[in-house]
Amino acid sequence: MSDAPLPARYYPPGGDAHGHPVRLAWDDGSLLILRDDGPGLRVPQHALTVEARGFNHEQWALSWPQDDSAHLLMVADRDIAPLKRVAPGLFQVGEQHRRAGRRRLGAGLALLVLLPLVLAGLLLLFLDPVVDRVVDHIPPEVEQQIGAVVLARTRAEGPLIEDGPAHAALQAIATRLARPGEKLDFYLAQRPTINAFAAPGGVVVVHSALLKEARSAEEVAGVLAHEIAHVELRHSMHQLARAAGLRLIVAALFGDYGTLGGWAAQLGELKFSRDAEREADLRALDRLAETGIDPQGLLAFFETLSRQEGADGLRPPALFSTHPATAERIEALRAVLARRPQSAAQAIGIDWQNVRTALAAP
Amino acid sequence: MAMDVVDYEIFGHEMQYVEVELDPGEAAIGEAGVMMYMQDGIQMDTIFGDGSAQQGGFFGKLMGAGKRLLTGESLFTTVYHNEGNGKRRVAFAAPYPGKIVPVDLTTVGGTLICQKDSFLAAAKGVSLGIAFQKKLGVGLFGGEGFIMQKLEGDGMAFIHAGGTLMEKTLAPGETLRVDTGCVVAFQPSVDFDIQYAGKIKTALFGGEGLFFATLTGPGKIWLQSLPLSRLADRIVMASRAAGGGGKEGGSLLSGFGLGAVLGDDE
Repeated sequence: MSDAPLPARYYPPGGDAHGHPVRLAWDDGSLLILRDDGPGLRVPQHALTVEARGFNHEQWALSWPQDDSAHLLMVADRDIAPLKRVAPGLFQVGEQHRRAGRRRLGAGLALLVLLPLVLAGLLLLFLDPVVDRVVDHIPPEVEQQIGAVVLARTRAEGPLIEDGPAHAALQAIATRLARPGEKLDFYLAQRPTINAFAAPGGVVVVHSALLKEARSAEEVAGVLAHEIAHVELRHSMHQLARAAGLRLIVAALFGDYGTLGGWAAQLGELKFSRDAEREADLRALDRLAETGIDPQGLLAFFETLSRQEGADGLRPPALFSTHPATAERIEALRAVLARRPQSAAQAIGIDWQNVRTALAAP
Repeated sequence: MAMDVVDYEIFGHEMQYVEVELDPGEAAIGEAGVMMYMQDGIQMDTIFGDGSAQQGGFFGKLMGAGKRLLTGESLFTTVYHNEGNGKRRVAFAAPYPGKIVPVDLTTVGGTLICQKDSFLAAAKGVSLGIAFQKKLGVGLFGGEGFIMQKLEGDGMAFIHAGGTLMEKTLAPGETLRVDTGCVVAFQPSVDFDIQYAGKIKTALFGGEGLFFATLTGPGKIWLQSLPLSRLADRIVMASRAAGGGGKEGGSLLSGFGLGAVLGDDE
């Protein structure tokens, strides 16, 4: 071997724990062990056993037997290269072991990372049926309590309009839409934003700006039918239960509820919300047909809404929105209406101009 | 790379500190926050990374700092330079009850694998690296986690661990079974593995857990008698805030009141 002798530690047979520093060289098929503190040794290749040992198998143990004990040499992996070059056959088995160890580590780590992901995926898959079951078991009293809380908060945020022509008009439309025995309460809130929402327990809150922007009672009826559908389908309860479930899964995955996890959960909730809106739109058409109200009102309202959005120029991208794009909703409703037979419509008969003037007055 | 040769003296019994003597121009590195006192003439310099000469450039420094983050230490190390004319002393104190072990890295072949967090101080030039545990089982159940610390160089290093420290040299093939968490340091020629405790009954009620750590020679090993986590568990258990009664010898029984009755001898 042309290289300089490589450093090693030699442990003679008989349990010498400390070992001796030695240098190794290769000469004509034998290993030469050069000792500073004693006579050198010569070991033929066929007598040698080599295995990977030590922390992380980063050491090589070269041993050869004597009587019922053995000589041992320990060489660090970073020093072994010259010996490996001259006698590669010695290291084959050890190298195989090291490779197998690396493969096991890779497979183990992959499993450690994938297992929680797979579990979370399964949970997500079964989230909807579980949420449905949970919501089915929530008693109506609990729902009404939540509704009362939402209503109290709405009152705290701003005034409600509890009399006058607008209030009367809203109640009249609601009465026409409601089926006998349905638990529905409609409230008119003095707010500058076009909005209406359904809380658990049949509480529906309509913002005054919505009535002001609507061109006819039929448009408002369309919106109310949509909100009633939310109540009927218990969407808000589903949404609450789902949000709780999603946050639980995300918290289990990301440990503490991280920012990224929070976003993921929110995106999941928004998607659910958009699906619920589509479902409510379709249900609203059913109810309008049932009560003999012209469904074109709902479409007309959406058109008003889309003009408003165009004017404001402020719209979140579809993925981040609670509602589907208005244009998409109009499109979907038109398609459904085209397939359905036209039912006879009776006008609601409210002087809408009167309502708008009443709301415009300070 | 020539290391600085440092003279040192260790003071105290169960809560120790080490006083390092620096010749003019010599330097030592210390874990951030462990310096106890230093004499006039010693300049303190905080550096990013571990201060070993091998890391060149910004990227090298960043890598060094990243390693320190992984081993649970602060991003910065402090270098103590003797800028004076005579010998000057600086002292480093152990952060919790235990022993400080001086290790001359030349006598262990230049490399020492140790528990993360156990590094206290060293001669300047000793590099602090990480040794990633490549056996999954050992990483999960060996009590030392996946990240261990690797001290490399040919200078003096001071490591610290809890309770009493035991130094032992294992003969080739000699195996010692150790409670997980008690392994402090070993030479790289030592094989670190785990072994199933063998009996479910022992694992559940023997109080030693499901696995032992096993250390197989040849090589030197250092063990601690009281891992900090065990000490911390006992303190929390005994504290009033955690509902501990302040009495030793409680088992599951004390939770049901029986232990309290048996243990009450006031």
